[in-house]
Amino acid sequence: MTAPLLRVSGLRTWFPIRRGVWQKTVGWVRAVDGVDLEVNEGETVALVGESGCGKTTVGRSITRLIEPCAGSVTFAGQELTKLTPRQLRTARRHIQMVFQDPATSLNPRMRVRDILAEGLEAFGIGSGVSERTDRVAELLKRVRLEPEHMMRFPHEFSGGQRQRIGIARALSVEPRLIVLDEAVSALDVSIQAQILNLLSRLQQEDGLAYLFITHDLSVVRYLARRVSVMYLGQIVEEAETEALFAQPQHPYTRGLLAAAPSADPEHPNIEARVLGDVPSPADPPKGCRFHTRCPEAFDRCSVEPPPVVQLGSRKVRCLLHEPAERDPGVSSESGSSGVAPGREAT
Amino acid sequence: MTLLRVRDLRTTFPLEGRRVAVVDEVSFDLEAGQVLALVGESGCGKSVTALSLMRLVPKPGRIEGGKVSLGKTSVLELGVPAMRRVRGRRISMIFQEPMTSLNPVVRCGHQVVEAIRLHEKATFRAARSRAVELFGQVGIPDPEQRFDAFPHELSGGLKQRVMIAMALSMRPEVLVADEPTTALDVTIQAQILRLMRELQQQTRTAILLITHDLGVVNEMADRVAVMYAGRIVEFGSRRSVLSEPTHPYTRGLLAAIPARAVRGEPLHEIEGVVPPPSQWAAGCRFCTRCPEVLDHCGDQVAPAVTIGADHVAFCHARAESVTGESR
Repeated sequence: MTAPLLRVSGLRTWFPIRRGVWQKTVGWVRAVDGVDLEVNEGETVALVGESGCGKTTVGRSITRLIEPCAGSVTFAGQELTKLTPRQLRTARRHIQMVFQDPATSLNPRMRVRDILAEGLEAFGIGSGVSERTDRVAELLKRVRLEPEHMMRFPHEFSGGQRQRIGIARALSVEPRLIVLDEAVSALDVSIQAQILNLLSRLQQEDGLAYLFITHDLSVVRYLARRVSVMYLGQIVEEAETEALFAQPQHPYTRGLLAAAPSADPEHPNIEARVLGDVPSPADPPKGCRFHTRCPEAFDRCSVEPPPVVQLGSRKVRCLLHEPAERDPGVSSESGSSGVAPGREAT
Repeated sequence: MTLLRVRDLRTTFPLEGRRVAVVDEVSFDLEAGQVLALVGESGCGKSVTALSLMRLVPKPGRIEGGKVSLGKTSVLELGVPAMRRVRGRRISMIFQEPMTSLNPVVRCGHQVVEAIRLHEKATFRAARSRAVELFGQVGIPDPEQRFDAFPHELSGGLKQRVMIAMALSMRPEVLVADEPTTALDVTIQAQILRLMRELQQQTRTAILLITHDLGVVNEMADRVAVMYAGRIVEFGSRRSVLSEPTHPYTRGLLAAIPARAVRGEPLHEIEGVVPPPSQWAAGCRFCTRCPEVLDHCGDQVAPAVTIGADHVAFCHARAESVTGESR
């Protein structure tokens, strides 16, 4: 098997909490705390989670828009975390980002032509102004906008059109990977469908890889080949999309799926299995970080950090799936009374 | 029993030198103890409809016509003081963003107490114990302590619970909920929707639920009205509208949901965007995006086509196919 295009391992991004006159560091917000991810050439991987789980920080740490504290990010065989700023600039050409809110991620004082030509100029693509303008026209056609509109400002476009401009900007420097951070979340469903179709078409044409960061499970199911579910800075489950939706293994994944409303009139079915609120990442719960909201938690969950268990092509971070489970005789010291109710629930 | 009856509601805003009706001849009935969902995309006029019912349309908007009856009260004809007594007591509202609808410098509990004491002669102490009781009912943990919390000390889900407690403090007959869970995460959304359903079953409050999410509609609604560009284009029972969508817009909306699509196949798209209100057609306003558009669609107001008991769509193309079959 060939090496993946992007491999993230043990990624950790903590933010200091500073207090007082001297801005002394009094603690750390563990936004991303040991994340592993792989994206292959030409495929779509989704990173799913609720607000505050650290998914956006993962996206930004990969491109080093935020400096990670530890861990490695390998892109096309190159270790990004060790690059000098100059080397990083060159490497970033191949990883582009599209952000959630196109209204705030496009400079309101720049014309669309200049927004799209900026990347071309930075990387010396195309020689001269007229060739770059031709390329901009080409880019606008690819995202189904009128090339005649290139001298307009971002505010003259609708939300969906602005997101097309954001995508065109990402495409302009011919990247191999695009990190899409909630790229369709702010759009109405009919516009969202247009953008999702555009993204799949571009992927087929250029063999692009997408890291799709979102909270919306229905989009994930439609788009991604693999899914990683994130909770409080850690990935709790990673699996092929179909397998994840058919048989979610982590209680958090189950809770998320059960809470997602469906428009199928025969199955109005949401359940509020996951109760309460997400704890603060500055002081994550001991043991399993999900145990405070987990409907299947038992006594060991609040003490032992769960191991990552490999189940076929799936990875789950949960004590319920401990390998020792298959061999109950071995784990006598851990106390069978605590394990039993958990097993029944699976 | 029809609790809230809206007929030919028309609310206008000045645009490009003339007044444009962003809510145009909207009619619906809300029955006691039921949930009616008003669905549509942004800019279709659903929030302005809600604000019109509350008589809270911001200037320069103006309610220009129609009739809104709450029981025997004609809401649009009330004077300002009389409306103030109805608003909050008989019809109340919760908004999309609990962060911006609570006063950030007043403790949460005091805001609920204020709402109670506006409508009733109650001592602070009595109102306080009512508020704490309400906090408990809407599932706020440690209600006694949270009474003194400032809004920024609470999570988004808890703030929305405070809003619900405030809205329900007077046991209103009608609750207007404008995108109550849109700003919340899905696990929190599930909790809030369940809470609303439970409270509604206990109190028999009728809910007008405004949302863009057909999944939420499916979870909550008894009946659905689909809005496009200021008009209702289809209404009926939840099951009927979602299983037999008839207006091309409703069909398009449902088909565009990624959860219903097969991976690898293109999603159904509705071409183009909602036109700005100044360009709305005299006839069916969906005509600029409709895959089944006919020559006269843009000129004439679409006729009502009955699909089943209490399920109606307003569409020229459907009307033709119905008369065609009957010939």
